Amino acid sequence: MATKKPITLKSIFYTAVSLVWIFGLSAIGHIVMVLIEKYNPGIKYDFAWGCVIVGIAALYSTRFMKSDGWQSFIGCMAGLSFWFAMEYSLMYGGHDLGVTYTWNGSYPEYRMMKWTFMLLVMVFSYLLFQESVRCNFIFYLRRKLRLMRGAIATGKVDNYGPRTFFEYVMVTWTFYVLLMIGYDEVLFGAHSWFVYMVFFASFSVFFYLTYKLLGYDRFGANLRYAIPTVTILWNDVEILAKWNMLKEPWVHINWPIMSVIIGGFAISSYLIVKDLRGRSQDMIETKDIH
Amino acid sequence: MKYTHLGFICIAAVLIAAQPAYAQEKTGKEKYEERLKSLAERFFAAQKAGTTVKGVIVEGNSLFNGTTEPQNKPYGKPYTDAERKVALRSAERNSKVFLLARDGTLYYPTVKKGQAESESLGAYRFDRIITEEQKQKKTLPWATLVPMVGREIEVLGEVYPGCGGVKGLYIEALWFEGEYIPGKN
Repeated sequence: MATKKPITLKSIFYTAVSLVWIFGLSAIGHIVMVLIEKYNPGIKYDFAWGCVIVGIAALYSTRFMKSDGWQSFIGCMAGLSFWFAMEYSLMYGGHDLGVTYTWNGSYPEYRMMKWTFMLLVMVFSYLLFQESVRCNFIFYLRRKLRLMRGAIATGKVDNYGPRTFFEYVMVTWTFYVLLMIGYDEVLFGAHSWFVYMVFFASFSVFFYLTYKLLGYDRFGANLRYAIPTVTILWNDVEILAKWNMLKEPWVHINWPIMSVIIGGFAISSYLIVKDLRGRSQDMIETKDIH
Repeated sequence: MKYTHLGFICIAAVLIAAQPAYAQEKTGKEKYEERLKSLAERFFAAQKAGTTVKGVIVEGNSLFNGTTEPQNKPYGKPYTDAERKVALRSAERNSKVFLLARDGTLYYPTVKKGQAESESLGAYRFDRIITEEQKQKKTLPWATLVPMVGREIEVLGEVYPGCGGVKGLYIEALWFEGEYIPGKN
């Protein structure tokens, strides 16, 4: 686990920037897909393959980076690139197999994603039982379920890039599957107790995770912890849209709101890059084993 | 950092990859807007000329096995609430849907004449004719057939002779009242 420090103005600043950046990344990901679908659907599968190539190149580039901040920053973008490709592959599969939209409006690709839940369970089981995995949440579960046979694995992590990439993909995947199971009218339904529970749990956990995030005052650990924090908040964004209480600006292309989000993303990117460049001499924290 | 430039190369690669999408966006957007405008003009002209096809969307399996009888119900209310719920679920599992006109004619939504290879139309996004007011409200200018089961739609398209009394209907664009997904535009 990354070393947690007292909350300071500096850590508040780092937390705010990380949250804005990850939120902006998700929002921009959505609007890119909407724009392509609306104005140029012919390029979407080429774009998906482009994302795979960019994702692999980004992941490969982390091999040469010494700072965990840069590794995490690039790892996030690799995660987003691969996630684009993942969604487009399901879109292609849905189109090829003739998967319909549901009557309550869920898209074919998300209907297909729901049925990857057993694959998700398999991957999660591996992470849960593999004792060298150091994710805080999984470590917590392992401790509570008494799955640890000895002390937690320690030692230097050489490259946070693939870890951040994997974290981004896993967290996004998990919450999509969770929401799709909730929206299934046969199992629960968009207005069921389950979705209400997810909504309120996500809202509460977001604040708890933000509080935890405030203890990290450098990009790297902060960016990595911001991924689940923002994605959990994103559950609420998705649920509010499903309940028709929010018109997602990236779906309905509300440019004034999107400009604010894109602006926030650009400024936070600048601040992160500036900070990471300033710390260019820093090496990986050997104690930071998240 | 020694290899900072590699990070920037990655960002540049993303931006370069996004360029064709951005460059084409404008022309794509223009084409899209023009297409919607042209469809709306043609739809309202056809509506005036009485050449649009109007009917309610019904679910095929329960119709053909005689479990539901939307053809014997008052036009516009082909199902009870319980029947519609089941019909919607069947439709989203890709059972075929049909358009049942007021005069009892059954239309099978199909692709344009001459197109041999096709896809499930249950998964297809049809262009939806929307008014200027709906446009301002950011109403989605497309709809799929599954949520339309049990509802009336009006179609701009082509009618084909079909087979066994069931006619073929190529849907170029459709119009309906209300929201696409009730409670969600």
